[in-house]
Amino acid sequence: MEIIRFVIDFLSFYTIYLMLSISLNLEYGYAGISNFGKVLFFAGGAFTVGSMATRLTILLFQGRWIDIEEYINTDVILGTKVSLFFAQHPLYGIFIFLFLLVLAMSISALLGYIASYPAIRLREDYLGMTLVVSGELLRNIAKNYQPLVCGTFGVYVPNPFSWATGIFRDLLILFILLIFSSGTWLIMEYLLNSPFGRLLKAMRDNEKVVESYGRDIVKLRIKTLMLGSAIAGLAGGLYAFYTGSVNPDDFTATKTFLVWVIVIIGGAGNNLGAAVGALFYVFIDRLIAYYKHWICLPFDINYMSYIILSIILILVIFYSPQGLFPEKPARTPVIEKLRRGKQIKSIKMQEQE
Amino acid sequence: MFEVFVDALAYSDVLILLSIGITLTYMTVKVPNFTHGDYASLGAYIAFTINLFYGIHPFLSIPIVFILAGLLSFIFYLFIFRPLSERGANLVTLMVTSIALELILRSLINIYADIMSLKTKIPIFRGFIFQDYLINIGIFLLPFSTIVATVTAVLIVSLLYLFLNKTKFGIAMRASIENPDLAKVLGINVDLVYSISWFIAGGLAGIVGVFIPYRITANPQVGWDLLLRGFAASVLGGLSSIYGAIIGGAVIGFAEIVGIYLLSQPPINLPIAYRPSIPYLTLIITLLIIPKGITGIDFSKIKRKIVGGRNGNN
Repeated sequence: MEIIRFVIDFLSFYTIYLMLSISLNLEYGYAGISNFGKVLFFAGGAFTVGSMATRLTILLFQGRWIDIEEYINTDVILGTKVSLFFAQHPLYGIFIFLFLLVLAMSISALLGYIASYPAIRLREDYLGMTLVVSGELLRNIAKNYQPLVCGTFGVYVPNPFSWATGIFRDLLILFILLIFSSGTWLIMEYLLNSPFGRLLKAMRDNEKVVESYGRDIVKLRIKTLMLGSAIAGLAGGLYAFYTGSVNPDDFTATKTFLVWVIVIIGGAGNNLGAAVGALFYVFIDRLIAYYKHWICLPFDINYMSYIILSIILILVIFYSPQGLFPEKPARTPVIEKLRRGKQIKSIKMQEQE
Repeated sequence: MFEVFVDALAYSDVLILLSIGITLTYMTVKVPNFTHGDYASLGAYIAFTINLFYGIHPFLSIPIVFILAGLLSFIFYLFIFRPLSERGANLVTLMVTSIALELILRSLINIYADIMSLKTKIPIFRGFIFQDYLINIGIFLLPFSTIVATVTAVLIVSLLYLFLNKTKFGIAMRASIENPDLAKVLGINVDLVYSISWFIAGGLAGIVGVFIPYRITANPQVGWDLLLRGFAASVLGGLSSIYGAIIGGAVIGFAEIVGIYLLSQPPINLPIAYRPSIPYLTLIITLLIIPKGITGIDFSKIKRKIVGGRNGNN
């Protein structure tokens, strides 16, 4: 039974990290924007869901706005009540779930739009510092401004699928997560192999050339950041619903860095790399979370995993800077035809031999 | 109010030492070095351990801390950053590498703190302070640590000034930072110069670690928190001159302490926990408005504009 729970938990976390790494891959691997503030947009989605889920449901279905004092003091009780309400009215739960995910995506996209202001003007290192600090700033505010997510101790997120019971509920949530992440994957694969993806790569490699062909770099950067942030926001919203709570201290700069580890180890500019990198990281992470008590160490084993991940990252940067799955040419119709042509040629050669 | 001023002074000393190092490393390899804050945590833990086991006063361990933290920084430069930049690694790769090193260092310090607190049965290993005492100077009561920190900062800044302007090696250092290729042509060993800059930068950050526990609880996380303020100070100073770093450190130090003191008074009554937001916001605003920092502002141009405007009116 524990194995089944482990697999479900592992896959659920995997889908969330997959979305995050795809979005970073879009921004860094394809468009060359060094987004060191991934956690900012991830937290944007999670905080949206965390702060709205309980209050919005009570406002919509009971017509009562909870004042801030009551919300801070009794968020768990209110949240549980909302969960019970969802158990009786499954459709309302699904409605709130989808609505909040859309809201989370929009708010993160808005944050991405704001972040594009420095992203257009600053060089990579300055942009990196700005975004790292912005992430920490948001965390600092969320920790202290209680009306947002109840401050340091975090907020309870009601479960919109509480009408399902037992393992069935976990499977259902996993199924939904899988739909969202594979949908994101398919859309991004389609988009990045289209002229848009090639334009992004061209911008990454040489902005001046792209500009001289009459493309608007500024608009392109804004679009990329908004799209990437929306995906991160979706991941954040799903993360909040999946874990059932939002705690500001969960969204440290280390989270951003882990996504970078995934993308660089896997290979920037190739979504397959991001997928494999995420698999690798989440497997280690969940293994530690589940079997921590089996290993007796005088310190927290998570630190050990950070050290190992960082060393692997440095080794990859030194010996295989392209990552495990290097970038491939975009699958355009012409290239596909050429590839097929080569195959035909080689078949013919074999026949001649 | 006097207390606040003294607090701000001590804090500025720390930030000045930190941002000088950040600026030095940035000028040489052109990477915002994320490991820099952790030299400070390392320094704090070395000083604490020496004090605990040998009873040596933390201030006396400053030379050891300087050398150890400097050596670490030097090793990172020699084996990681230099090979990478020679291979033509891009800026983002260098930054990711420095964040990886930061995480390794922080995790090692965490592990050390965990093991030591288990072994020595001293729970304060994950958050300690040093005992400070007040000294009576004339009418003022000053904390001893603040005096030492200020004297150290002034001493280091003036030594650095003499070193960079009066010694042959210092001038060579400035030359190779300004234009490495030209310096190489003139027979300066640029590699050696860069190594020494990294050594000095790391050492200064280590010294910061000795002063931190007098003011705030030192834990393995403290270096990261300080690093972001160090970034704020160095960026405000322009990341291109050591004097800018000094100005930046002082401004950020005073802005944070005095700013939160003023904001926490009525009528605003902001909780003190918002303190880190001040340097963070300063960093963001600086980068958006004057990305070249204070020293990057062309004052003569502004002056000319004002004067020119008057002439135009006449």
